[in-house]
Amino acid sequence: MAKHADLSIDFLGFKCENPFFLSSSPVSSSYDMCSRFLEAGGGGVFYKTLTTTIPEECSPRFDAQRKEATPFISFKNMEQTSDKPYQDNLDMMKKLKEDYPNKLIIGSIMGMDEDDWEQMAKDVTATGVDMIELNFSCPQMTYEGMGSDVGANLDLIDTYVKAARRGSNLPLIAKMTPNIEKMEPPAEAAIKAGAQAISTVNTIKAITGLDFDKYTSLPVVNGKSSISGLSGKAAKPIALRFITNLAQDMNLQGIPLSGIGGIETWEDAAEFLMVGASNVQFTTSIMQYGYRIVEDMISGLSIYLAEKGFDKLEDFVGIALKNIIPADDLERDFKVLPQIDYDKCVGCARCYVSCMDGAHQAIEWDNEKRKPTIMEDTCVGCQLCLQVCPVYDCITPGKVLFKEADQFGKGSLSEWKEDASNKRDIAVGTYEWIR
Amino acid sequence: MSSSISVGVKEGIVLKPEQGYMEETVPPYTPFMAMEEASRCLLCYNPLCSEGCPAGTNPGDFIRAIRFKNFKGAAEIIRSNNILGGVCARVCPYEKTCEEACARSGIDHPIHIGRLQRFVTDLEKTTNFQALDPPPATKEKIAMIGSGPASLSAAATLAMKGYKVTIFEEKEKAGGVLSYGIVPSRLPQYVVDEEIEHVTDLGVEIKVNVKVGRDVTLDALKEQGFKAFFIGAGMQVSAVFDVPGSDLDGVTTALDYLASARSGNGKADIGRHVVVIGGGDVALDCATTARLLDAEKVTVLYRRTREEAPANRLELTHCESLGINFLYTFSPQEFVGEKGKLIAVKAVGTRDNSLLQIEADKVIFAIGQKPEDITKVAAGIGLDKRGFVVTGDKGKTSIPGIFVAGDVASGSTKTVVHSVQGGKIAAESIDEYLTKGGKQ
Repeated sequence: MAKHADLSIDFLGFKCENPFFLSSSPVSSSYDMCSRFLEAGGGGVFYKTLTTTIPEECSPRFDAQRKEATPFISFKNMEQTSDKPYQDNLDMMKKLKEDYPNKLIIGSIMGMDEDDWEQMAKDVTATGVDMIELNFSCPQMTYEGMGSDVGANLDLIDTYVKAARRGSNLPLIAKMTPNIEKMEPPAEAAIKAGAQAISTVNTIKAITGLDFDKYTSLPVVNGKSSISGLSGKAAKPIALRFITNLAQDMNLQGIPLSGIGGIETWEDAAEFLMVGASNVQFTTSIMQYGYRIVEDMISGLSIYLAEKGFDKLEDFVGIALKNIIPADDLERDFKVLPQIDYDKCVGCARCYVSCMDGAHQAIEWDNEKRKPTIMEDTCVGCQLCLQVCPVYDCITPGKVLFKEADQFGKGSLSEWKEDASNKRDIAVGTYEWIR
Repeated sequence: MSSSISVGVKEGIVLKPEQGYMEETVPPYTPFMAMEEASRCLLCYNPLCSEGCPAGTNPGDFIRAIRFKNFKGAAEIIRSNNILGGVCARVCPYEKTCEEACARSGIDHPIHIGRLQRFVTDLEKTTNFQALDPPPATKEKIAMIGSGPASLSAAATLAMKGYKVTIFEEKEKAGGVLSYGIVPSRLPQYVVDEEIEHVTDLGVEIKVNVKVGRDVTLDALKEQGFKAFFIGAGMQVSAVFDVPGSDLDGVTTALDYLASARSGNGKADIGRHVVVIGGGDVALDCATTARLLDAEKVTVLYRRTREEAPANRLELTHCESLGINFLYTFSPQEFVGEKGKLIAVKAVGTRDNSLLQIEADKVIFAIGQKPEDITKVAAGIGLDKRGFVVTGDKGKTSIPGIFVAGDVASGSTKTVVHSVQGGKIAAESIDEYLTKGGKQ
């Protein structure tokens, strides 16, 4: 075996074996399901959200979006909370904690009113689980005043966190909705009312596609359909931005974050850790591939961290935060020109087409030689060509040119020159795929 | 190289016209291509490809690792199961093993498991990744005789258990059949050298130019403190059969032909009109060698039909695409000479009375190999009628403390991947033997 880093990390005083958890969802619906994930190596589970009344579900209830031949670019789910009797769920959570004392077991609840929240918190605490997640964010609840309605309402958050706190002395994690412009105010409200951590994002209200015969959105439920929550790979960029916002919020410093949204590989997970999540949760990738994928998350992340020389996972958490800055603070007096490796170029002209129609008409195309040439004067260094090139490592960041101030000042008819003195070292992206 | 070579095809890939002898035929995957191919994988539950690998290389798991961007984890899976993962990626008969079992065939065609395996094992070098981290060598000394796939595999398995392993090789280069018996366009020497480095990186010592039984005896090695022995001597002798004119200049054997071409980096007496006798992979390697080294005409004579030929199908179609002639159901009858030199081969139909005469200045016997006399290595060791070491349960021989695997073992399947597996099993057996204090 190669060298692997230790992946253990603290979450609200619990020493987790690794930061990989099932999110509260269809994949964590029973003792058996959770147990199979834990046996596959998972660090813990957020058990499927409990409500005191079992919701009525529709059929079908999923849709997966394809792009070209790739399925599951995003996924839409209309399922609500647990479909099992309340007491059965409590029994299963109790047994999970008994059988897996070293794994993190978290109960998830959603109440209908204050009393309901308090009683459920009390019942879940009695099972012996380690923590409770408060689900303020499911976008497909059919009852008013539940789900993501709560996550967008500061007063309801305050009331329900306090109710849950009355029912339990366990750490409380508020699960927040992304169906909102700024997540900091509701997150702060939850912490102020007595929650200890935030998990996010829950699913994003969406329509993945439409049916061309029944004239409704997908999935078709007896000729009709509804807006409901979207998850999967397409949700990741949105989730990463919310986690970054929370991690950089001055009022939330020191509050642990649990990252959710489109995590499929160890790299996805590592991205959440880099922007400040101390653990991650996932569902859609499990629905598509099964619990076994956690094996590659553990293997991949531990090899990477060992090679990078991180002694403990904590040191990696939030490592990118200082480098994600407001757009107006970015340096804007240089351009990184792309360079084409002509040994690799297959002459498809995709770079040319995109530059002509989507950028700055800075690539010349020799149709006879089937050869693109980048025009340094016209090229603005946007690197769209690098993004569309289908050949690995063919177009890469190249020469850096700096703006020379002229009599008109910055940003107008400036000259671009190489830094002859070599004083400035510009850190460009590597776009490396192998690690 | 030669402009006379027609454009070859292999694994559905149209090759460059200038395909040369020293150059690997199938190009490597880029990361994008590897991901695309891994995404074709159905990620089956209890995948049949993994069951299909004789050496337990576990393609199901390593392809999944590629799909989930865990490239180094994939390397670890391969290397910890198969120390010669990079070699097997190139010479394995997939069509009869993992790829034959691939469920994707039910949709279109199998995953290119070999090429994915090659992508991953190549990446170990480009990223300088050490997939194995051996324990310190604190246990007994073990001697391996021969440095082919079986010995290398057994040596690596034992080194990972903390044994001090020394390999003795009679030739100047380690690798056995890998270094002397396969055409470089299928298995370049640098790959063999790198794979051997993976073994020596585990602390295994290789002594070349030492023939056990000639330069040093087994008893002398025992005195030097070696506590167990492994015979991985392979098959050193080419089989021939009696054809009038066999003593002519120009009549040779597959092993001599391949070895002289390979050690001369392609500079050797290749022949202009070459006839190869045989229908297995070695015969194809001889034919490819001749063709890629500019022989004008290459003809393969095989006594049975194309369907009955044991050769790898992909290699066979590749050879055909290179313009090599195949004559099935023909057997040589006489080698015709002039002034002691071969000028033609007369052949006769094996299933009818056809007769033909082929102009030739080189004829190569590639009808199989057999071992050297192993009693010269270990006196009194049990051999079967054909000279193979009688092999019992888990690589045991008739002499306690001496183990065997690979081509020299009786009853073994004569492929690299089976030798890797044989070496692993024998290594477990050696470990068991030494753990019990040298009792079998």
